[in-house]
Amino acid sequence: MPEQRFDAQVRQEGSVATMDLSGEINRGADDRMTSAYDDVAKTGAATILLNFTRVGYINSTGIAVIVAMLGRARNDGRQVSAYGLTDHYKHLFDITRLSDFMNIYDDESTALAGVGAGA
Amino acid sequence: MSVDKESPSGGSTRRDDEAWAKPTPALEVTILPEGAINRNVAGRRVTGPIQGFGRMWQKTYRVRMSGVDIDPTEVIKTWKEHFPEFWPEGNRFYGPLTGIAPGEVAVLNLSMPGRLKLSTGVMVMYADDESFTFMTPEGHMFAGWITFSAFKEGRSTVAQAQVLIRASDPLYELGLALGGHEVEDRFWQTTLTTLAARFGVEDPAPETRYLLVDRKRQWRMAKNVWHNAGVRSGFYMMGMPARWASKRLKRKSPPYTSEGSSQNSDL
Repeated sequence: MPEQRFDAQVRQEGSVATMDLSGEINRGADDRMTSAYDDVAKTGAATILLNFTRVGYINSTGIAVIVAMLGRARNDGRQVSAYGLTDHYKHLFDITRLSDFMNIYDDESTALAGVGAGA
Repeated sequence: MSVDKESPSGGSTRRDDEAWAKPTPALEVTILPEGAINRNVAGRRVTGPIQGFGRMWQKTYRVRMSGVDIDPTEVIKTWKEHFPEFWPEGNRFYGPLTGIAPGEVAVLNLSMPGRLKLSTGVMVMYADDESFTFMTPEGHMFAGWITFSAFKEGRSTVAQAQVLIRASDPLYELGLALGGHEVEDRFWQTTLTTLAARFGVEDPAPETRYLLVDRKRQWRMAKNVWHNAGVRSGFYMMGMPARWASKRLKRKSPPYTSEGSSQNSDL
């Protein structure tokens, strides 16, 4: 089965930048994730929301790509939260203990309320 | 293993759920070969780079299988099946009999400076045909993951080990600054060289790349030192002569047990 190419689009609402992720998060996602984070950095947003609604596949190299981005965010003093994870990926975030580090919300409106968008 | 499934939109997508370990509150070691020291593994939680103390590093070790026509999946299959054989001498990997599969736990006995044997372990967090990943338990020198993968780059197959780690606590962070990074680099370079040689690569030349992902130390994680496997292994080894003497004395004692003594005292 052909791989679904990864993409990340950034949109901003107040102090929150949402990264809409889509496709497969694997080793090939590294460059696009890095450039998407660069886009966030340019906006000066204090919080990043990762939207996983359209992500259908994550392997361990993909998790490392996410963690590397989290590391950069922490280095820059940005908070990271996520939403749109299926139950499987919620388990995955528990296994990898990513959920210790970021708040996980069910959907975008809950996430925006949770991170205090526009506050 | 990656398989396909129908997506909600009707298209077909790859599945990853079989490749990931199931959530577990604490590690369990089921079978342990004779001679293995199982300390600092059973009952511990796994940790990722987020739970560590030191700076976050991504270190990538790669070797190109030059001059050899080999499929990446074949490299990973061999690597999984013979994982301990590629390790540098003096270090032992006691893997599960079922092989490297998601959720399995392996005990490691590692050679450290000063003839110390460090007992720790890893859990297989992820495994498919193209890669597998280990996650470390509390007390391991690194909080993080190491991913082994193979892929095509140009006409060659490349085997790669990539660590994403923080030193678990301040003592390990100090150790890394005092030469620990170089020791680790040699460890994985040797592993990749041995792996490449297995496939007939002549004069394998592993490359190493470093990326400092987060330069900040997480001081709230300094308490991880409580679980430090090096310190605990050290105390364990210091107690070995006393335990050996105790066993010898018990063996030389009269052939009645404490239970027998108790029965005698009842007489």
